[in-house]
Amino acid sequence: MNAISPAQAKGLQISTPTDTLIVLTRTFSAPRRLLWEAMFTPDKMRRWMLPPPSWTMTTCECDARVGGALDVAWKSADADPAMTLRGVFTEVVPHERAIHTEVMALGTGQLVGSLVERHEFSEAGNITTLRITQTYASKEARDGALASGMDEGMEACYKQLEAVLG
Amino acid sequence: MVVDASPRLDQVFHALAHPARRAIIRQLSDGERNLSELAAPLKMTFPAATKHVRVLEQAKLVRRRVAGREHFCRLNAGPLKEATSWTEELHRHWEARFRALDSLLEEMKSEEQSRGRRL
Repeated sequence: MNAISPAQAKGLQISTPTDTLIVLTRTFSAPRRLLWEAMFTPDKMRRWMLPPPSWTMTTCECDARVGGALDVAWKSADADPAMTLRGVFTEVVPHERAIHTEVMALGTGQLVGSLVERHEFSEAGNITTLRITQTYASKEARDGALASGMDEGMEACYKQLEAVLG
Repeated sequence: MVVDASPRLDQVFHALAHPARRAIIRQLSDGERNLSELAAPLKMTFPAATKHVRVLEQAKLVRRRVAGREHFCRLNAGPLKEATSWTEELHRHWEARFRALDSLLEEMKSEEQSRGRRL
């Protein structure tokens, strides 16, 4: 078990600086080229893009170049695909900045969310700060994303409501 | 039966999205206040301040009681707790992924180091 350096643990911050943004900031004990590789290489992405319990990631493609595609899909016991995530990279500065569109949909095709995601990597002495800025089309869409909690959070809460309401 | 709770939550998030309304909520977390007390620290006209109170009432975050000519407001914590727990879910969702990313990065660093030693 590798020790995690004390300097690393700047935990996840989530903020909403404007009506249409969600900003995530987190630091990692690694040089930014490794974080970039982990973020945008399919076999590495499969290791950390954890699906909800009992879901499996089926497709994972990521071409981190301008015009390149992002294509992720998950299946569940009931549906294949259960959810898809598709996008296109619009701006790429290797190890520094990547911007891509992102459209999330259920297996039925029903749209879950549509956003632009910007990843920024800045490094100081082998500690990399990652900032993910999600821009939504409207305040309602952004608020919905905040409220939904995504994936298993949403599902767990609905199950609880179902149990209470009968 | 599945209930879609998100429109009500959207209202709560909308209510929380304005700094003046967050300031009102912070004041009310200390206890009941009348409208003048709530309006005083905000840099705006009294009607503008009471509009913000109404938005909070619509989101069921604030309850008002009238005593003579005074209006007293009280925080209704339920919707706020619920809204907080939804953002906590989002936080948990991302933090779980980032922790997995931490482990992966440690592995990648070790692999690099051992590759370096073999050269």
